[in-house]
Amino acid sequence: MLYVAGEISGDSWGIFAFLCAAFWNLPAVPALNSTEEVGAGQSIQKTYDLTRYLEHQLRTLAGTYLNYLGPPFNEPDFNPPRMTRAEMVPSATVDFELWRSLNDNARLAANYRAYTHLLCYLRGMDGQVAKAELRKNLGHFCTSLQGLVVSIASVMSSLGYPLPSPLGSADPTWARGPGATSPHNNFLKKMDDFWLLKELQTWLWRSAKDFNRLKKKVPPAAVMLRLEARDF
Amino acid sequence: MSSGRSWVINALYILLSIFSFGVSGGLVQSCGYIIPESPVLTRGSSFTALCILNESCLDLGNIHANQIIWRIKSSVVPKEQYHVINRTVSSVTFNDTSILATPLTCNILADGQIEQNIYGIAVTVGLPPEKPENLSCIVNQMSKSKFIMTCTWNPGRDTFLATDFRLKSQWPQETLPDCMPQGVNNSCNTSNVQFFVNLEVWVEAKNALGKAESEPIDFDPVDIVKPLPPHNLIVSSEDLPTVLKLSWDNQIETFEMELKFNIRYRMSDSPDWMEVPPEDTESHRTSFTVQSLKPYTKYVFSLRCMKKDGMGFWSDWSKEKSGVTSEAKPSKGPALWRKIDMFHSPNFWAVHLIWKKLDPSEANGIILRYEVTVRARSRLSPSPATYNVNSTNLTLNLTNGTYEVTVTAHNKIGGSPPSFLLIPASNSKAPVKDLKAFPKDGKLWVEWKVPNNNVVKYVIEWCVVSDSSDCTTEWQQELGTSQGTFLKGNIKPFKCYLITVHPLYNNGQGNGQSTKAYLQQSMPAKGPTVQTKKVGKAEAVLTWKPLRVDEQNGFIRYYTILYRTIGGNETAVNVDPSKTDYTLSSLSSDTLYMVKMKAYTDEGGTSGPEFTFTTQRFGKGEIEAIVVPVCLAFLLTILLGVLFCFNKRDLIKKHIWPNVPDPSKSNIAQWSPQTPTKHNFSSKDQIYPEGSFTDVSVVEIEADDKKSFSDQDLKHFNLLKKEKSTSEGHSSGIGGSSCMSSPRQSVSDSDESETAQNTSSTVQYSTVILNGYRDQIPSVQVFSRSESTQPLLDSEEKPEDNSGGCDSATPRQQYFKQNCSQDETNTDGSHFERAKQVTPPINEEDLVGLAQLQISDHSLQQCGSGPEQNKHESALSDVLSSSTEGQILRLETMGINTATVDEIPKSYMPQTVRQGGYMPQ
Repeated sequence: MLYVAGEISGDSWGIFAFLCAAFWNLPAVPALNSTEEVGAGQSIQKTYDLTRYLEHQLRTLAGTYLNYLGPPFNEPDFNPPRMTRAEMVPSATVDFELWRSLNDNARLAANYRAYTHLLCYLRGMDGQVAKAELRKNLGHFCTSLQGLVVSIASVMSSLGYPLPSPLGSADPTWARGPGATSPHNNFLKKMDDFWLLKELQTWLWRSAKDFNRLKKKVPPAAVMLRLEARDF
Repeated sequence: MSSGRSWVINALYILLSIFSFGVSGGLVQSCGYIIPESPVLTRGSSFTALCILNESCLDLGNIHANQIIWRIKSSVVPKEQYHVINRTVSSVTFNDTSILATPLTCNILADGQIEQNIYGIAVTVGLPPEKPENLSCIVNQMSKSKFIMTCTWNPGRDTFLATDFRLKSQWPQETLPDCMPQGVNNSCNTSNVQFFVNLEVWVEAKNALGKAESEPIDFDPVDIVKPLPPHNLIVSSEDLPTVLKLSWDNQIETFEMELKFNIRYRMSDSPDWMEVPPEDTESHRTSFTVQSLKPYTKYVFSLRCMKKDGMGFWSDWSKEKSGVTSEAKPSKGPALWRKIDMFHSPNFWAVHLIWKKLDPSEANGIILRYEVTVRARSRLSPSPATYNVNSTNLTLNLTNGTYEVTVTAHNKIGGSPPSFLLIPASNSKAPVKDLKAFPKDGKLWVEWKVPNNNVVKYVIEWCVVSDSSDCTTEWQQELGTSQGTFLKGNIKPFKCYLITVHPLYNNGQGNGQSTKAYLQQSMPAKGPTVQTKKVGKAEAVLTWKPLRVDEQNGFIRYYTILYRTIGGNETAVNVDPSKTDYTLSSLSSDTLYMVKMKAYTDEGGTSGPEFTFTTQRFGKGEIEAIVVPVCLAFLLTILLGVLFCFNKRDLIKKHIWPNVPDPSKSNIAQWSPQTPTKHNFSSKDQIYPEGSFTDVSVVEIEADDKKSFSDQDLKHFNLLKKEKSTSEGHSSGIGGSSCMSSPRQSVSDSDESETAQNTSSTVQYSTVILNGYRDQIPSVQVFSRSESTQPLLDSEEKPEDNSGGCDSATPRQQYFKQNCSQDETNTDGSHFERAKQVTPPINEEDLVGLAQLQISDHSLQQCGSGPEQNKHESALSDVLSSSTEGQILRLETMGINTATVDEIPKSYMPQTVRQGGYMPQ
């Protein structure tokens, strides 16, 4: 009887020692003190939500704005050929395979650059709109888009990637900004706006996919903690 | 004088110089200035100001900085706070700026004590802003796509200065426009809300004395949203009776946020909400099916939402919407009871079946009909009779027997389980025990003890006990397991309820036990009217009517009788309520008492009207005790008096009736021997034999006679004597007839007798009549009639008998006897006898007698004694009637002649005897 009790106490001492060791090593668990990783998961999720939110916002805004532009831009089946001029706008029509072959950093940087430029064009468009309600909506969308740029930047920083220079020298047309290239032809200008919205929509759609993928790649903090703990 | 003049000159000089200086230096060129210019100071800090004089001014006169005087408004700052730095600069120091006020002026006292203002500054005292605290923000959804963020904070203490608050916000690499509060300093609204980007927000407060910033808060605006509640809620019923389906529209888009919900519901008649388990509604949705509801019941729903992950705030509750579940079969049979009327004969009953409407929660729909089956419980067991009824009662006429009654309620879906009742349940089973009823929680509670375990259910009947109306019975049914219940109905306070509990068994029924109870008691409506039934000397029996049930307002616990005298203390006696009379004892006699009565319930008493009564002076039997002995004593006294009188009657007689000499005694004999009558001699001889007559008249009497003669009598004698002389002449003449007339005279008054005396010639008779008349009026008439000559005749016929009788008696006795013997018959008889005997001679004699009578009558008339006259006449007519009519005629013709007849026949001896008797007088 006594023997049995002694054995039990021996076991419990073992467990106690194990727990003590575990707690001693707890501060060493990388997931617990790497708040950056935790923040990255959150900001990726937020960025994903934001892209989807902007997608919906843009759908509403584009409808209103195309109506504002009038026919033929507001016709559902209006699909003009892409003009060379529109090359100023950063195109999302990148090859799917090529896009997927890029690493996260490159994709994020491309997103960041694209939205920064799109935002500049959008702001130029904003100033020309005569309709107050539409201008207000556009202004709000611009702010939101700026939020997305900020969001992407924070994701990049949380993942430890350097921010790309805002005005990349790869495409000189982008650097010139909207004011320099604004056409004097009213129709062409409307065409630019049409393509801008179209490109924006495509970018947002692709960004949503990117962030969804990234979200899966960088799991939320709680899950990460468990994975790290298993390693220990 | 000279100094005064120089002062004026100096002053003028200074003024002029200042003026010229100002003009020369520009429009406004003062003689000095203060630094700092218009300072804003922190309250409580120290402050030093310098007044610096212009050199140009100094040149104009003897001006020195030590001449500077500082003033706050108009009051001078004490010199101790001054400090002269050099000839042109003076400073003033304040240790506490809170005493400062605007303006602070620098003045100079020039020559001649004229104070000049050099410069003035405005001083503002306040506080720097505090750090704003408790910053919080919320994003309110205003419409489908409009959100407003409102941040609030605590601005801290009042700064007394214009302070600018700003809500600052920024993204990680981007500063956003500030939000400026509108009219307030503790909140700010902005419509520029960007979801999904973390925002850093803080408040900056700034004024002239400083700037302060709150701690920043960091959030994603999407996490602090209070969304609009779902709208367009629709409630629809499904096939299942326990289910309702809700559907709604959300007002926030899923790309903005996903939602979770709370759904609450209640029955339309209940204020209490129930909630669908929150875990069932944690996912975003636009519809939900609520289960486990009651059939055919109206439910009210509403719901709210918030961000699915629990961040932010719950929306307000949505508008309420109601829906009704579908119908189901009634879940329970109706409560069933009966009343049995045994009219006409005990073999036929009118059975009133009554049952209660099902509660909506049991009916599960609209009850369309009730099905009643009645089956006689006999060996023959005929098929049961079935009735379909829309109302909740059915009257059956049944013959004596036992019946099983079942009632089922039917709605659109189906019928309820049957309710069962035995009729008539023989009341042979055990009744409930210890039945009690009392108010509890504002209701009337009935409780009892179970007689045994086989009770299926209880039926509780109750009704209001009242004098004015019948007991209208209400009833309710309780489960066999219950041992108490509240009466379900409109139970009124101050009413007496008779409550009866019947236990029902599977095969019979127990006797009903009854009790009475009040929901609420009060004082009786009035007190009993007391009155006395009987009042004695020291006690009174009070009686009263018990109060009517309607007046009692509660159980009468006791009565109190309060009684008092007018000035005395009130005495109270408590009486058991079952009594209707009470005897008050130890009362004072012949005293006015006021008595009233109070009836007490548990809540108090009410007194009835006051009643007064007076106790009697004497007790029962007391009067008798006094009166009876008094009467007895009186009677005894009377009796003794009578006995005494009887014993002493002789003495009394002597006092009352004086001795009357008996004329029948031989007074004559007394007198005649002394004075021998010459006239009467012859006549006496004729009538009486010599010897015998003298022997009869005895000497003894004489002595008595003399003795018995009263003075009055003697007087009369004297009167008669005197008158005799006047009438003597013819009295002798008619002396013969005086036998008749002398008794007549006795009838008349003594005065009248004078005339009679005239006619009567016998002294003896006159004397006797006067005395006798005075005391013996009733016998006079008899005496007078019978008088005539009868005694004489009697004595003539039976002298010995007469004398013998008279001898033995005293003279008075004899006199009495004489009276007694004068019966009418006797006199008449003797009269007739005499008339026969002396018919031939008596014709004359009668005539004479009559004539004499007539005369005497005549004389009576003269004397004017009316009443007596009648008697005379009646006497006369008697005499006349006794004689023949023919004689009367003769009497009339011969009346006067007779008066003159002198020769009286010898047969008139008695007349002569009288005359002889008269003579001596």
